[in-house]
Amino acid sequence: MSAIFKTLKPLLVLLAGVWILVGCEAGPPPTNLAPAKAKAAQCVEPTADIRKNHMAYLMQHRDATVLAGIRSKQYSLVECINCHVDPKRADGSAVHYEDRDHFCASCHTYVGVKIDCFQCHADRPELANQTNYQHKLGSAESYHFSHQLGTPAVLSLQDLQTITSGGVQ
Amino acid sequence: MSNKAIVYSEVQQSGWGYYGVLMAGMALVGLGLIAFFYLEHTGHYVTGMNNQIVWGLPHVFAIFLIVAASGILNIGSIGTVFNNKAYQPLGRLSGLLAISCLIGGLMVLVLDLGRPDRLIIAMTHYNFKSIFAWNIILYNGFLALVGLYVWAMMDHKIQYLYKPVGFAAFFWRLVLTAGTGSIFGFLVAREAYDSAIFAPLFILISFALGLALFILISYVLFTGAQRVLSKDLLKRKRYLLALFMGAVLFFEAIFHITALYAAEHSHFEQFILSGASGYSLWFWLGHIVLGSIVPLCLLLLPWWREQVSSLLGAAALVVMGSFIQLYVIIIGGQAYPLTLFPNATVESSFFDGVIHTYTPTVWELMLGVGGVGVTLVMIMIGVKVLRFLPVSLATAASGDIE
Amino acid sequence: MTKNLVNEYRRRFLAGLGLMVGATLLPELSNTQAADVTARPENEPASSHKRWGMLIDVKRLTDGGAAMVAACQHEHGWGHDPQASAEQQAQWMRVVKVTDKQTLHSFSLPVMCQHCEKPPCVDVCPTGASMKRADGIVYVNKHTCIGCRYCMMACPYKARSFVHEPLKDQKPHSPRGIGTVESCNLCVHRIDKGQLPACVEAAPHAVIFGDLQDPDSRISQALKASGGTQIRADLGLNPQVYYLNI
Repeated sequence: MSAIFKTLKPLLVLLAGVWILVGCEAGPPPTNLAPAKAKAAQCVEPTADIRKNHMAYLMQHRDATVLAGIRSKQYSLVECINCHVDPKRADGSAVHYEDRDHFCASCHTYVGVKIDCFQCHADRPELANQTNYQHKLGSAESYHFSHQLGTPAVLSLQDLQTITSGGVQ
Repeated sequence: MSNKAIVYSEVQQSGWGYYGVLMAGMALVGLGLIAFFYLEHTGHYVTGMNNQIVWGLPHVFAIFLIVAASGILNIGSIGTVFNNKAYQPLGRLSGLLAISCLIGGLMVLVLDLGRPDRLIIAMTHYNFKSIFAWNIILYNGFLALVGLYVWAMMDHKIQYLYKPVGFAAFFWRLVLTAGTGSIFGFLVAREAYDSAIFAPLFILISFALGLALFILISYVLFTGAQRVLSKDLLKRKRYLLALFMGAVLFFEAIFHITALYAAEHSHFEQFILSGASGYSLWFWLGHIVLGSIVPLCLLLLPWWREQVSSLLGAAALVVMGSFIQLYVIIIGGQAYPLTLFPNATVESSFFDGVIHTYTPTVWELMLGVGGVGVTLVMIMIGVKVLRFLPVSLATAASGDIE
Repeated sequence: MTKNLVNEYRRRFLAGLGLMVGATLLPELSNTQAADVTARPENEPASSHKRWGMLIDVKRLTDGGAAMVAACQHEHGWGHDPQASAEQQAQWMRVVKVTDKQTLHSFSLPVMCQHCEKPPCVDVCPTGASMKRADGIVYVNKHTCIGCRYCMMACPYKARSFVHEPLKDQKPHSPRGIGTVESCNLCVHRIDKGQLPACVEAAPHAVIFGDLQDPDSRISQALKASGGTQIRADLGLNPQVYYLNI
């Protein structure tokens, strides 16, 4: 009996693996991205393209910026963060890459892809009223605003209030 | 091949002696890995290294093992390149020890990087003006060449490669150690370094350190496996070790005297040779007295020189002395401040103009001994699974031990 | 008596001459910074036709450069990493007090990356992360820095720091992170926008910044008129930071 079990053991393990795989859901997971802060109607490329290729755009832009000094805004990581990440939650706490409700982390933890952008780069926009963070919030010269993508070129009063009060849209 | 009559076999012992050493090695590897993961998680602030002493104890361990690796290969080269038949049976073991030491040393070096996760970048982005980048190529090439060398010694089918690969490996190891020394020799900024003599000095340190380590390890392996070492060979190694140590002292003396003579280097020399800092004490007591003079006496004075125990004692002291020598070169060299303005004293919030202090923490020590553990484990597994050790080196002529 | 009158006349003449020279130099050094850096179109790479340099008049720096260091710290956010010890704390720029061993004459000056023409840090870097941009700015490409710290060993000015711990909330324009080496980057993000480096802006009366390759730039003219000293010029690295009155 044990001899039979020994010969069958690899097969059983294999079958168990197949059973587990069958149990997995088919198709891409539903995207459950954290809400963007002051989101334009469209990202700098069509959404499907960005979802698939954002890393390539970022990588190419990164080398162009650091090595050659090209400072275009379309694929700048700082602009991604400015537009997509709310610096604070409704309760005023800071949103960081380690948290699952950070825009980037909301998908990256789901697909299990580790990135090391935020070991050096800021993972949220700077807040004007915070002493640690002196500068701008969602620069008015960002790609969306200068290229008239979706949202009005100038922020409405309501937008400004939402941003500065740190509420999640 | 001339060593046809020599029979090699795997180590048969499976008792506490063998497994005890293996477990000890694995325990050291474990300590190293714990330190690595801790450093990787917290960053280097938990170490004693800082923005003044940027290379610390792990680098001393790493360079110690890397220099030892190239030196240990000499035993094989003496047999192959200089056609000394008495050394040929030890060629396989010399190759194994060389690879083990190099991998142990490289592991420490790599795991101490600020971003060890980016090791792939070090392999894909080369700046060919950097001696560091050249060393990456030299280390990898050394591993490949020595691997092939050992293979050619073990497999009769590729025996024709034995000589050419042996020559290539010897040449390669000289370049490799010159490269390791040049890491320091090429630093124009630092008074302690910036000297072409570091390349030959490191080669000679590797000769002495490699031979001393080989004497110790081979003795432990042979006696542990109850095999016979040739007394004649031990005697030859005694003279060779004394010769290498003399050469190290000669180059060291030239280096220090030249530096003392040059006004721009003389302040640093006074700091290292007669300063109030601990480095002078380490240099004179650790490196010169205990690491050189005492072993030379053990090797050469008629009362001791015939005893195996004095050879082993001398070898152990040379290993220790070389470690201290590297510590003084690496840490002592960084402890002395940079000269921003000659003939002026400088002070700042960034520790300009003061002797820098360095106190290693336990994490650095753990990382360093982790590399030693890797070396140990590789040697123990190597001699157990492959035929590295000759069954006997006894010759009728020399009345061998046991 | 006549002799004294002559002496007095000489003194007055010399003082007047000095004032005139001072008056011609003064406006050069003050408040005309605006034209020193011009903005480059954002999708245009840095040009090798420019070579940025700095001339620091140590005598005019009444605080020895402390305001410049503070501005740098504010701009890039270094110097208060929570875990690092004092020796481990990053310092992109510091005030160095220099005292002559014989005369005991003493002065202070700010020291940071000197942006050498032949930077040893770039030569020794195994991965090419330590780099010099086309316009002569030396900095670390942190994407390829593996943290080996060889550049810190190679720099004669001790300009580089290593980040010893994980960091958060960095300045968006100045990324800094664990396990990489960093140093003054001449505020490259500001230069690209046509702004002056933060430290230069903090000491407008003592520092001239500009293009060393343009013979008509203010810095070239000032160097031509009054010379300038490089620290450790004997090493032949040709730094782009010059000092006056040291």
